[in-house]
Amino acid sequence: MKREKNFKITPYFYLVPSLLIFAVFLFYPFIKTVYLSLFMTNKMGQAKIFVGLQNYIDLLSSESFRNSLKVTLIFVVIVVFGGMLLGLIAAVLCNKAFPGIRGFSTAYALPMAIASSSAAMIFQIMLHPAVGIVNKLLGLDINWLNDPNTALYCVAILTAWLNSGINFLYFSAGLGNIDETIYERASVDGASSVQQFFSLTLPGLSPIMFYTVVVNIIQAFQSFGQIKILTEGGPNESTNVIVYSIYRDAFFNYRFGSASAQSVILFIIIMLVTLVMFRIEKKGVNY
Amino acid sequence: MAEIALRNVCKQFDSEHYGVKDFTLDIHDKEFVIFVGPSGCGKSTTLRLIAGLEDITDGELWIDGELGNYLEPKEREMSMVFQNYALYPNMTVYGNIAYSLKIRKVPKEEIDKRVRKVAQILEIESLLDRKPAALSGGQKQRVAIGAAIIRQPKAFLMDEPLSNLDAKLRAQMRVELQKLHKQLDTTIIYVTHDQTEAMTLGTKIVVMKDGLIQQVDTPQNIYNHPVNKFVAGFVGAPSMNFIECEVEKEFDKTVLIFVTTGPVKKIYITGPNAAILQRDYIGKRVMIGIRPEDIYEYEEARSSGFAENSVGIRETVVTREMLGAEVILYFDEQYKTHAVRLEPSNQTKVGENIDLYFDPNKIHVFDIETEENILHLYRKGY
Repeated sequence: MKREKNFKITPYFYLVPSLLIFAVFLFYPFIKTVYLSLFMTNKMGQAKIFVGLQNYIDLLSSESFRNSLKVTLIFVVIVVFGGMLLGLIAAVLCNKAFPGIRGFSTAYALPMAIASSSAAMIFQIMLHPAVGIVNKLLGLDINWLNDPNTALYCVAILTAWLNSGINFLYFSAGLGNIDETIYERASVDGASSVQQFFSLTLPGLSPIMFYTVVVNIIQAFQSFGQIKILTEGGPNESTNVIVYSIYRDAFFNYRFGSASAQSVILFIIIMLVTLVMFRIEKKGVNY
Repeated sequence: MAEIALRNVCKQFDSEHYGVKDFTLDIHDKEFVIFVGPSGCGKSTTLRLIAGLEDITDGELWIDGELGNYLEPKEREMSMVFQNYALYPNMTVYGNIAYSLKIRKVPKEEIDKRVRKVAQILEIESLLDRKPAALSGGQKQRVAIGAAIIRQPKAFLMDEPLSNLDAKLRAQMRVELQKLHKQLDTTIIYVTHDQTEAMTLGTKIVVMKDGLIQQVDTPQNIYNHPVNKFVAGFVGAPSMNFIECEVEKEFDKTVLIFVTTGPVKKIYITGPNAAILQRDYIGKRVMIGIRPEDIYEYEEARSSGFAENSVGIRETVVTREMLGAEVILYFDEQYKTHAVRLEPSNQTKVGENIDLYFDPNKIHVFDIETEENILHLYRKGY
């Protein structure tokens, strides 16, 4: 049989609206970013002098950018682990029927609905050295957000909490997919609840776990609002994650070339991490 | 060794709804006990009460002389096969079977030995490396049984383990379960809604309805001496025929007359039933029950020796089912369809009339009000 080869144009027309939107808001900015990263720019952000990879070379040899990478890494690790752990614990706790379950579920899912900037404002007051509830409760006198040793952890924990809402939702859905009777069989078989959690619940969550990890990593890398409000990258660059560094380079220092180069590096990092995750998924996820 | 005793066990869901009510039963070692009844009768709930998956709200559960009400499931040393098999999807067949031993920290070599032995008994050796998702229903069922029998529990609890299998496989597994019971030599408590399974597998049958025990007895006794209309109708296929009759006296004979318009249809009844009917029921209505195989044509009735004392009942055949070894004819009476099981040589066609003879010794008589077997009522002392 001969394959029909008549090219049909109609289907492509249906794609035009979405392609158009992608082109304007994704493809063009992306290509422009890559383009700009190879230039020195003027204050208006226009490419003026072609410098090749000089922006990248400058970045990689800059102490500040290496600090940014390190800070970002710590930040992402805390946010991903913290956020997922909080979400998982909440989801496991809410996976049983008891009176008031709806109230608890809503409370645990709430961080999802809070804008990061308003959460940041609330944390700012809570962490205030003089009037903040944290110091009052702990009986300490720490200037949490202005101490380079604690600022990053504060911002990271806030972000973890913010992300825990959506993780709670993912994990709740995942737990709902696990057949209830396997727990009954396990308890008759003699497994304790801890054994059940590790041999049934965690493996049962593995498909959703992968998805959640990927989304969390990407989200963590891109956190911005809370850092802008709470610490502005300080003190002493201790919370200067890459996204904030990009923002500062572009809109304070007007070094759009360098900012673009950082964007490209961030893009490459996230892409690599995601690819690695997909590799692991093929091997690690059960059924 | 396991002696399980239930004393007035209740499962109350709320102030009005009972899952199980006043359940009293002794289960002896090595018995094959079947809980049977229609869906919602509380049979699965009772099993789950024994397993410890549900809390007993009232009454006592004794396991080997120890009060079991408050024991955790794992302390009860039972193993259970679930209706949907409940295999752990993330583990291989091997892992599924080995799980209960693994968490008991049995040495690896020992586990391996026992898993292979169980796999051999159930003929699933070739499946050990597969995940449950890659198994057929029958295979899953074997794995679930394997996972249950790898331990030596006090009792096996099986919750409708065959209901997800197709008819042929179910028949085959029935035979194998019976073999397994002999081989394992332990107590099995088995829940089913299928009366065939109950009759073929059990050494003791517990018929339940609406959370209450109706009758506890051997399969033979349940079939031959049902205590009430429900048990009589539930056990046996095609099920027992029920016909409303009026009790009258004709000289010294007790006669049952069908409540119907048209020609009179009557049965002369003998035996213990007749005496009770004469004493308490003359002029009253009763419900009689007769199994399809206890109704005969004239020839057979004559050779069985009761045709002389009976009058044939003329009925019109509405459906005919030829099953090879037997033929089942259906006729309508009192707006219900009734069945007769006859020799395959019978040639009566649909629409034709046939004279039927009811074996007077096999007729069960039930009280209209209480629906209890009058013989049973009499024995209870009414």
